[in-house]
Amino acid sequence: MASITLDNLGKIYPGGTRAVGDVNIDIADGEFIVLVGPSGCGKSTLLRMVAGLESITEGEVRIGDRVVNRIEPADRDIAMVFQNYALYPHMSVRQNLAYGLKNRRTPRAEIERRVTEAAEILQIGPFLDRKPRALSGGQRQRVAMGRAIVREPAAFLFDEPLSNLDAKLRVQMRLEIKELQRRLRTTSLYVTHDQLEAMTLADRLVVLNGGRVEQIGTPLEVYRKPASAFVAGFIGSPAMNLLDARAVPHLPGTAHAGTIGIRPEDLSIAANGPIEMEVTAVEELGAQRLVHGLTGGEAITITLPPDAPLSETLRLGFDRGNLHLFQRETGARIN
Amino acid sequence: MKRTIFRNQLLPWLLLAPQLAITFIFFLWPAGQAIRQSFLREDAFGIKSSFVGLANFRGLLDSAEYLNSLKVTAVFAVSVTVMSMGVALLLAVAVDRMLKSARVYTTLLVWPYAVAPAVAGILWWFIFNPTVGVMPYVLEVVGYDWNHISSKTDAMILVVIASAWKQISYNFLFFVAGLQAIPASMREAAAIDGAGPVRRFFDITFPLLSPTTFFLLVVNIVYAMFETFAVIDATTEGGPAQATNIMVYKVYFDGFIGQNIGSSAAQSVILMLIVITLTVIQFRYVEKRVEY
Ligand SMILES: Nc1ncnc2c1ncn2[C@@H]1O[C@H](COP(=O)(O)OP(=O)(O)OP(=O)(O)O)[C@@H](O)[C@H]1O
Ligand SMILES: [Mg+2]
Repeated sequence: MASITLDNLGKIYPGGTRAVGDVNIDIADGEFIVLVGPSGCGKSTLLRMVAGLESITEGEVRIGDRVVNRIEPADRDIAMVFQNYALYPHMSVRQNLAYGLKNRRTPRAEIERRVTEAAEILQIGPFLDRKPRALSGGQRQRVAMGRAIVREPAAFLFDEPLSNLDAKLRVQMRLEIKELQRRLRTTSLYVTHDQLEAMTLADRLVVLNGGRVEQIGTPLEVYRKPASAFVAGFIGSPAMNLLDARAVPHLPGTAHAGTIGIRPEDLSIAANGPIEMEVTAVEELGAQRLVHGLTGGEAITITLPPDAPLSETLRLGFDRGNLHLFQRETGARIN
Repeated sequence: MKRTIFRNQLLPWLLLAPQLAITFIFFLWPAGQAIRQSFLREDAFGIKSSFVGLANFRGLLDSAEYLNSLKVTAVFAVSVTVMSMGVALLLAVAVDRMLKSARVYTTLLVWPYAVAPAVAGILWWFIFNPTVGVMPYVLEVVGYDWNHISSKTDAMILVVIASAWKQISYNFLFFVAGLQAIPASMREAAAIDGAGPVRRFFDITFPLLSPTTFFLLVVNIVYAMFETFAVIDATTEGGPAQATNIMVYKVYFDGFIGQNIGSSAAQSVILMLIVITLTVIQFRYVEKRVEY
């Protein structure tokens, strides 16, 4: 077990692409950190720098109190779960699990013990003598996890490990990963572009945008008080409404704001509310209704109970405490 | 598969005709002739021939020269295959690790394949020529007296190098493609699993390359056994003292120079059987992906 520190970390690929810059994160021992952001924002690059699969061009990575910039992946005491699982196709599940231990000259009996234990935790015992190609996607995913846990490393690194699974399995595996991490208390760094996955797994979230950190915080902090318009729009589903202040000049309590944010669930129908919404589309989700429309030319969405009355125009009200105000140029939060 | 319907019954046959004709004239008909001749014996003047059953085949198996040729062929084919595949794999692994100039090296390494076998033979014959060649000169410096005209070993080494050299390009291309088909994450996972570069190669890369390796193994054996005729002819002509007289060269030598048509035909038939066997093995195992 160990803490991980990313100190002013940056990466410029040969050819000059800057993928990551000025990243500072302190990960406590046993903490589950999720890196989340849109495609191409540098999540994998960041993770791979911690793993040692990508050279570090700026700053420092420390695992425990050791600077690992120049240390080989094998000697960083980390285990990684890849998006495509990267199981060795010509080895049985047992050999896949044992390979890392064998390379480290772990005694045979110890390997046997750890493999059996991991197989039990992950319920892959019946498949130990199969080749990976004879497993389902979910089972392969478990084997990939197993390969990480038998090593008993200081940290787990996950690069979108669930993105190849179907939606239902993804939810199930998400819970299992969380459960497993709680039990093993191993420091984890987890990459995903799925904000729901990020919210449910993380002790703390790191929201990345264009290679830079937008916000670090617990899922609730990030949800309740997004540090920028980007985070506000990225975290939460359905996404927060972000209105240009010039389009809705009459809204109370919005002085000095460039962008006004309000979550669809924080809006309600109010006979003389300050927002007039022209309804353009309705999505029935069963438990609720998603109503899309326009106000002052800006797109706006509201969630309503399934039995709420609808008309072509709706008047909407909100609680001022639920407003999120951002600067126009920088997108930074101002309230 | 897409099925095209031809209205005219004749048209498809007409379209196939040139290919069928070529196959028949240059392959099926000579093959049939070889099989027929292998059961016949011509008289001394080549006027009359009589049916002799398996006598030609029995004669071959009793002939020390033919048994020697079998042995020489085996040594030659194995050496050429090991050398051409070994060197090609080494180069491919080196290029696979390079990012920048991989293309340049690939292009350079592919050139030898465009050289005709006879030209390759003459090229190496010159390089190793005891009087004018550069290699004997270099070898003399380290105290080796090279002479492929009198030394059986030197002659064998010469034909192996000349034959393998050309094939390296071909193998190299397949190995590079094979290496690039292995996901990078596989090797990265192994690196994290504590395997050094050498371990990674033998535990991960090489096993995953086995379909390519197996395919090339068959292709190279076939090449060494059948397509190296020109190399032998341009360098050693089977000598000295039969040391490089591989089966395919012996067929030509006994048939055209020795005029022993019956024996030569029987040798062709044996070669044909070997090709068929190799081809069957190829198809049986390449389809089921080898090793995993
Ligand atoms: N080997 C490379 N050479 C040059 N540029 C690269 C390389 N790998 C990634 N990049 C660039 O770096 C940026 C970040 O890439 P990265 O793979 O880290 O994104 P990501 O956040 O993981 O995206 P995704 O969610 O799609 O996996 C991208 O703009 C990408 O084009
Ligand atoms: Mg990625």
